[in-house]
Amino acid sequence: MSVLDILTAILVIIGAAFFLAGTIGLLRFPDLHSRIHALTKADNLGLGFIALGLLIQADSIAVALKIVLVWFLALAAAATSGYLIANHAMESNTPERSDDV
Amino acid sequence: MTFEMLFDVILALMLVWLCWRVLAAPDLFKAVVLFIVYGLLIALAFVRLQAPDIGLAEASIGAGLTGALMLDAVGQMTGRRMPWQRKDEPDRKEADHGQS
Amino acid sequence: MSIETLYVAVAIFLLLNVLGGLIRILIGPARGDRMLAAQLFGTTGVAIILLLAEGLDRPALRDIALVVVLLAVINTVVFVRFTGPPEDRAGETGP
Repeated sequence: MSVLDILTAILVIIGAAFFLAGTIGLLRFPDLHSRIHALTKADNLGLGFIALGLLIQADSIAVALKIVLVWFLALAAAATSGYLIANHAMESNTPERSDDV
Repeated sequence: MTFEMLFDVILALMLVWLCWRVLAAPDLFKAVVLFIVYGLLIALAFVRLQAPDIGLAEASIGAGLTGALMLDAVGQMTGRRMPWQRKDEPDRKEADHGQS
Repeated sequence: MSIETLYVAVAIFLLLNVLGGLIRILIGPARGDRMLAAQLFGTTGVAIILLLAEGLDRPALRDIALVVVLLAVINTVVFVRFTGPPEDRAGETGP
């Protein structure tokens, strides 16, 4: 194994550890908002480290750009869906809170 | 046993178990979400069966568009006021009760 | 151990992650929990497909990863727009 292979292995294993942390957070955290907090970070960084590890091994510029594009789209998707689900959960609770006030 | 075989065995067992859970789920929304995950795993199975084109079609149609259509259908069935309906319009559920 | 073996091993690990996260879909109290788990599985599936594209040396798989990551957010948007808030769940059985 060359130096680049070892670097790729380390980065991919770090990414897998982030995915494990995200799954444990999804299972163990008590409510929806803390689950979103755990999951979006694990999403972005887990896929980010795996994409970075595979980026080192890419043969050409086109392949590298495609991997980077996948990662940026995943960033946008995770940010959008995290905001939308949190907003939906808060919107669902709004009538009770306004009654209290 | 190589790692590829282990991957295939785990994927096949997950597919059978997930298929049973989709069919046996009492809650419609849970069944739809499980079906979305099922479409994703079926796409992975097609990838492992050396058919990336069918995997592409399955990932776009099965996991993406069918899931969205089914979520929309579940929303309609549980009586949600649609975004294009006005606030003062009577709710669909109440209108149905009034007719019956 | 070659680097391709490591890719497939990490893919198996991510698949087991999906298996663990399915419990949240099965028991999740709110609808948002279930959609959140589906979102995580979409990203995990993208990572698995990218790893398999390198490990099995099939560059066509990266297009599948692109399609999956594009369509994963559509489900969430449809859920937020067209599905009612949790109080509206009339006649629906629990988990």
